[in-house]
Amino acid sequence: MGLIKKVPVYAERIPGGGIVATQLESLLSHSQACSMWYLLFATACCAIELMCTGASRYDFDRLGMIFRPTPRQADLIIAAGTITKKMAPRLRRLYDQMAEPRYVIAMGGCTVKGGPFYYDSYAVEKGIDHIIPVDVFIPGCPPRPESLLEGCLHLQKKIKSQKLGDWHEK
Amino acid sequence: MTKEELKDKVLNLSQGMLTYSDSGVFDLMFEVKPENLTKAAVLLRDHEELRFDFMNNITGVDTGEHFEVVYSLASLSNKTRLDFKVVLPYEGAKLESLCEVWKAANWHEREIWELYGIDFTGHPNLTRFLLPDDWDQGHPMRKDWDAPDFVRMPEL
Repeated sequence: MGLIKKVPVYAERIPGGGIVATQLESLLSHSQACSMWYLLFATACCAIELMCTGASRYDFDRLGMIFRPTPRQADLIIAAGTITKKMAPRLRRLYDQMAEPRYVIAMGGCTVKGGPFYYDSYAVEKGIDHIIPVDVFIPGCPPRPESLLEGCLHLQKKIKSQKLGDWHEK
Repeated sequence: MTKEELKDKVLNLSQGMLTYSDSGVFDLMFEVKPENLTKAAVLLRDHEELRFDFMNNITGVDTGEHFEVVYSLASLSNKTRLDFKVVLPYEGAKLESLCEVWKAANWHEREIWELYGIDFTGHPNLTRFLLPDDWDQGHPMRKDWDAPDFVRMPEL
């Protein structure tokens, strides 16, 4: 990642090098946005909609989104479903195991703000944004596949708009 | 066996250990004094004409005045069902464990112990069950329970 970040610095020293940097930038962000492999992290009924989105009617694959069963191969967590306080450390651990750059979609009311379990619940985490950083929130209980696709398109737009220098390191 | 027959049979055989308590919700609801619990349970399980060999579940209830522990039983051979409850005071709620009578009681009692703080004496493994391992905020199913991030449903 550090090498890619330095490309514009070196490329712009040679005449016409700016074009190389720009082309490389759009190539990289385009290919990254079009092959978002997501970690299957489905803890409640939102999983049904996630499965439906993955199946042939809505066909997630055409966005380049293929599920991975391991965080090591995933670029994205789609947190689909209620996160309980007991589950929260596991979600954090899975997020930490993913390679940079990594993204998070919070799918459904539960992951946004606790959803139907906001009141009178001792066990449910009120929003996953205080466990891991979230890129896109998708409200709904559960959101329809169209909403999920819309959220993924927003995430793609976000990835495509980032500059080489933005590739964040922690 | 009809409902009335079963009711009469249980009342006759239990010699006052089980008293009928009609809650209007359950099919047949009896009440047992805490000190008679194990004796009543063994009678219901072992008596030739009752044979309640299957324990469906145990439920804890906080009514706001006292605790109730509700046992739901079924007899697979007689095809009958029965519930009975034990009323416990708030202070020092304590009950005999029924793990020896029905093995299935083990997890149910752990759960009630954890969520209501009702102590089950003689339980083989009364440890943390459903809540996070580092939970230190008391017993969340009690009516008077509260926590910093706990939001009560507003009156509508």
